[in-house]
Amino acid sequence: MLHFKYLLWLLAGILLPQIVGSATLMSLLTQAVIYALFALGVGILLRQCGLVSFGHAAFFGSAGYIVALLMRDLEFGAGTAILLTLFALAVVAFLLGLVVSRIPGIAFGMLTLAIGQTVYLSTLQSRELLGGADGLNIAWPGSIFGLDVRLFYDPAGMFVISWVVTLAVIYLLDRLFRTRFGSITSAIRDNEERARFIGLNITLPKALVYSLSAVVSGLAGILSAIYTGFISPETLHWSVSGMALIMTIVGGVRHLWGPVLGAILFFFVKEYVGELTDYWMAMLGAVVILIVVFAPNGVSGLIAPLLERKKRVTKTVVGKQVEAGS
Amino acid sequence: MKQKAYFTVEDLVVDYGGVRAIDGIRLALDKGEIRGLIGPNGAGKSTFIDAVTGRRLPTAGRVTLGGEDITRLSIIARRDRGLSRSFQRTSIFADMPVLEQVFLASHQARAEHPEEDALAILKELDLEAYADWRAGDLGYGQQRRLDLALALVGSPSVLLLDEPMAGLTVTESRDLAEHLKRLARERRVTVLLVEHDMEIVFGISDRVTVIELGKPLAEGTPDEVRANPKVREAYLGSAA
Ligand SMILES: Nc1ncnc2c1ncn2[C@@H]1O[C@H](COP(=O)(O)OP(=O)(O)O)[C@@H](O)[C@H]1O
Ligand SMILES: [Mg+2]
Repeated sequence: MLHFKYLLWLLAGILLPQIVGSATLMSLLTQAVIYALFALGVGILLRQCGLVSFGHAAFFGSAGYIVALLMRDLEFGAGTAILLTLFALAVVAFLLGLVVSRIPGIAFGMLTLAIGQTVYLSTLQSRELLGGADGLNIAWPGSIFGLDVRLFYDPAGMFVISWVVTLAVIYLLDRLFRTRFGSITSAIRDNEERARFIGLNITLPKALVYSLSAVVSGLAGILSAIYTGFISPETLHWSVSGMALIMTIVGGVRHLWGPVLGAILFFFVKEYVGELTDYWMAMLGAVVILIVVFAPNGVSGLIAPLLERKKRVTKTVVGKQVEAGS
Repeated sequence: MKQKAYFTVEDLVVDYGGVRAIDGIRLALDKGEIRGLIGPNGAGKSTFIDAVTGRRLPTAGRVTLGGEDITRLSIIARRDRGLSRSFQRTSIFADMPVLEQVFLASHQARAEHPEEDALAILKELDLEAYADWRAGDLGYGQQRRLDLALALVGSPSVLLLDEPMAGLTVTESRDLAEHLKRLARERRVTVLLVEHDMEIVFGISDRVTVIELGKPLAEGTPDEVRANPKVREAYLGSAA
């Protein structure tokens, strides 16, 4: 039944570009889905560890740079460069996670902000290697993973690709978080002290989630870099981290599709409300505050109960949850 | 020559800033012994358990388990050696289903059959009907029992229980006392029981230690302690 749901969403994503007539709207949706994946990366750290990162743009942005360098200076093919980049992000973020995830609450946020801005500023300084403020043009080859590169440049094509990637990531994460690893990380987020007293190692699972969240964010960054054919320090700026965080909070993280919904809402508000008033950022701020106060599980937390209808009984089988009646 | 006890605490001192909460407590527990630890409110019973289980570092003293010095070990390393505790202020995983967390605790303690172990404990503590419940939705007494379940699973070798009967009904308390007796007799679990219900403490403990203001006051069999004039005066007397 689970798979059926995914199949429906897959179909919907493939059909959507056929229905959408306006090119502006299509390009908006494409951007939204890429950022949805980014927000998902930020969201799993919040969901599984309760950690709020203000520095994930460091992963989002640097992924594009690393791929570009691997292709330009080391002459790797696009596919290899992408896989290597994701692997490198996983390793670096894991090691970083071993250190930063020990730091609680606000201090963690500040530290990630500092790390993110350090990456941003150093990139800005690096004119020779990284093109400084101008960034880099990326010379993508004719095809990536066997797909014609023009498909990636076209909003409709990129929408479908990003949609499929995002769905696949949600599916895999959902599977993962239903395993004991998911139980362990939830327990740690819930009550770290008691987790220690039942013998759980705290640091390792947190570092793993941190690594995972970096890889998902980096994957979004790579999609963005392919789509625009270009990478600049802008993508590393703290405001990009903040934007992803806002999407995550607006959408909510209890459900993995929450950040996706948050990203789509964000882009629509930005596009349509931003046109009506110059104060849209202030309005957005107000909306975020309202959500934090009145709907801590975000918009997805508000609408999920409406979608669930009669399958209210959630049966627990050790280590995993099975929804009855669905 | 007397064999060295299985679980010992030597000259423990614990400070909260400038305040000395534990001042030179020693205990020696044999394998399978149930030891009652009593004393008026604020005597330092919870602090004692905290220091022994690694929640708080002692200023001085030594804790050994099976001959090994565990004074400076991490909480996790102590749990790996079979040291397990419950909390006076309920400490559970509120957002997680009941069975899932007890299973996790059991699995983490390397129980041979964690699922059966978890289910057996839930049954024992009358929580099996709530296996699917989110722990935060349970009532107070049920949450107390869940806290206890998290301590009891996975065959611990030493159990330190901080007022486990608080919030339990009379029948539940009596059942728990029976369960602890069985654990001690049949599985040779060493139990340190901090409890206000004197009838239960004196009923199931092999020996009882009394502390007051962080200092030892008396120790002996339940009968000896009950008869001790110092204890009567300082503690039991005031309660009676
Ligand atoms: N976190 C703390 N900080 C400072 N003092 C504390 C703290 N916890 C307990 N105390 C003090 O230490 C003494 C012992 O407390 P506690 O161990 O809770 O006693 P008991 O469990 O026997 O009632 C009390 O005087 C109490 O006020
Ligand atoms: Mg106490």
